[in-house]
Amino acid sequence: MITYIGSENIISPLGDSARENFIKVKNNETGISLFSGIGVDKEDLYLSKIGTLSDNNKFDVLLAKCLDSIIKESSDNIINSKDTIVILSTTKADIQENLTAPIQSSVEKIKVAYKLHHTPLVISNACISGVLAMNTANNFIQSNIYKHAFVIGADVISDFVLFGFQSLYAISNEVCQPFDKERKGISLGEGAAGVLMSSESSVFKKEALEFVEGTSSNDANHISGPSRTGEGLYRTVQKTMELANIKSSEIDFISAHGTGTLFNDEMESIAFDRLNMNNIPLNSLKGYFGHTLGAAGLIETAISMQSIRTNTLVKSLGFEAEGTSGGINILTQNLEKEVSTILKTASGFGGCNASAIIRNI
Amino acid sequence: MSYINSYCHISNDTVKINGENSTSIDSDSIEEIIRELYLSLELKYSKFHKMDQLSKIAFIGTELIKQANPEISKSGENDIALLFSNSRSSADTDIKFQESYQNGGIPSPSLFVYTLPNILIGEIAIRNKWYGENMFTISSIFDSEYYANYCNILIKKNAEAALCGWINVDDDKIEAFFFFVTKKDLKQLNLPLDSNMLEKIYRQD
Repeated sequence: MITYIGSENIISPLGDSARENFIKVKNNETGISLFSGIGVDKEDLYLSKIGTLSDNNKFDVLLAKCLDSIIKESSDNIINSKDTIVILSTTKADIQENLTAPIQSSVEKIKVAYKLHHTPLVISNACISGVLAMNTANNFIQSNIYKHAFVIGADVISDFVLFGFQSLYAISNEVCQPFDKERKGISLGEGAAGVLMSSESSVFKKEALEFVEGTSSNDANHISGPSRTGEGLYRTVQKTMELANIKSSEIDFISAHGTGTLFNDEMESIAFDRLNMNNIPLNSLKGYFGHTLGAAGLIETAISMQSIRTNTLVKSLGFEAEGTSGGINILTQNLEKEVSTILKTASGFGGCNASAIIRNI
Repeated sequence: MSYINSYCHISNDTVKINGENSTSIDSDSIEEIIRELYLSLELKYSKFHKMDQLSKIAFIGTELIKQANPEISKSGENDIALLFSNSRSSADTDIKFQESYQNGGIPSPSLFVYTLPNILIGEIAIRNKWYGENMFTISSIFDSEYYANYCNILIKKNAEAALCGWINVDDDKIEAFFFFVTKKDLKQLNLPLDSNMLEKIYRQD
């Protein structure tokens, strides 16, 4: 049985649809800009922040907008089906508004507003949440537990998260430069993205792609420092390829995590080197969207799906000079080529790593 | 099909293994209770003392499950899935982290790293060198149907076993439930995994 994936949507400072976002990304425009006096010591910092929405209730607004857009791109009424699950991916949800229960009210609101048959499943597994949410949807569909899954990731910028990353010295004082020699850390971002996954290709209004397989693996090494051997990333990609029965020579493109911190990007390059994926074109999209945490996996997957649909790979914005030891093929300019099979990866605090393979049908 | 081989409840005053009292605790503060539980394990693990309350309870529960199931150590390092959930995410540490920077204070990096609930999965993985599947979910109540479904899915797909837990902690209360599921029936409890069975043993506390 095939798991189909499609109806992708992205809401970010670059636009309100996957197509709009992809066009901006293709033009190498970034959503990141300088905000004055927002740091813990009132310093100016770069963020990818959605200015067109009020900060008040932004998380719920993003979820609803994203879900509406996917519903519009799919068959009528499947959202209310008993065969449908909604899976939400977030790290901190609306932490600024509600410190002790940041997600419950959002879940309830969605359940009631969209008349859902099942309570949405919330995955909160650091920065791999988005990829893990798609993997989970695929597992449910392949096991006939559900036929359709609306998978949505969202996170918003808050003092809580910004000050936290500042306390770890993980925020760059410039626009983030994933994989570059001069990289100094992340730029925080916010946004939402989602996809519909289903066992039926007929529920998609536009042609769907195939979600082939996805897994996760822990580094078993450190809670906040990436593994020096890229252990968990190496293992999850290996597992995913094995289960998908796909060799690395069949992969046309890697949508990497690439946060822009020294240790994360180095870790990823080591893992891809161990996987002999040195020549596969690769990018990080954090230079366009910043690090959107629980939304990142879905935003980056949605852009990569657009790459498959248009046979266009976009350059890794912010990358100029090689700054990792693994020897990997980072895209320094957009590339028109046939893109059939892509690998999406993510890594996060807690030593977690996830990967997924999507291909054209 | 998969099987529940052991389970464990931890509350403020008791630890129960497979539904039977194993330890009684007599203390009022959550910190003290956790310290007593750690001491009763009779092991030395220096990283324990750096953990937040949520991770400490996850660590203790995992060690208790290991004691009840020595077979765990024979599992392959990729073969154990870690599935955890709760209703409060990392609220206990989130409050402390927010306090650290409010009123002109300096945000604490050692608190911030624990403001993600899945960190407890990382702590268990590090302690045991387990590289398997990870998943942390948040739900308002213990969702036995999700657990039964997802354990069975992963065990059918690419895991031999799953260690699962539901852990909530705040200033006054610990509520934790752990269970260990395997593909092969280890003939310890003869409990096939399904949501009714899981609900029943969860409520035994």
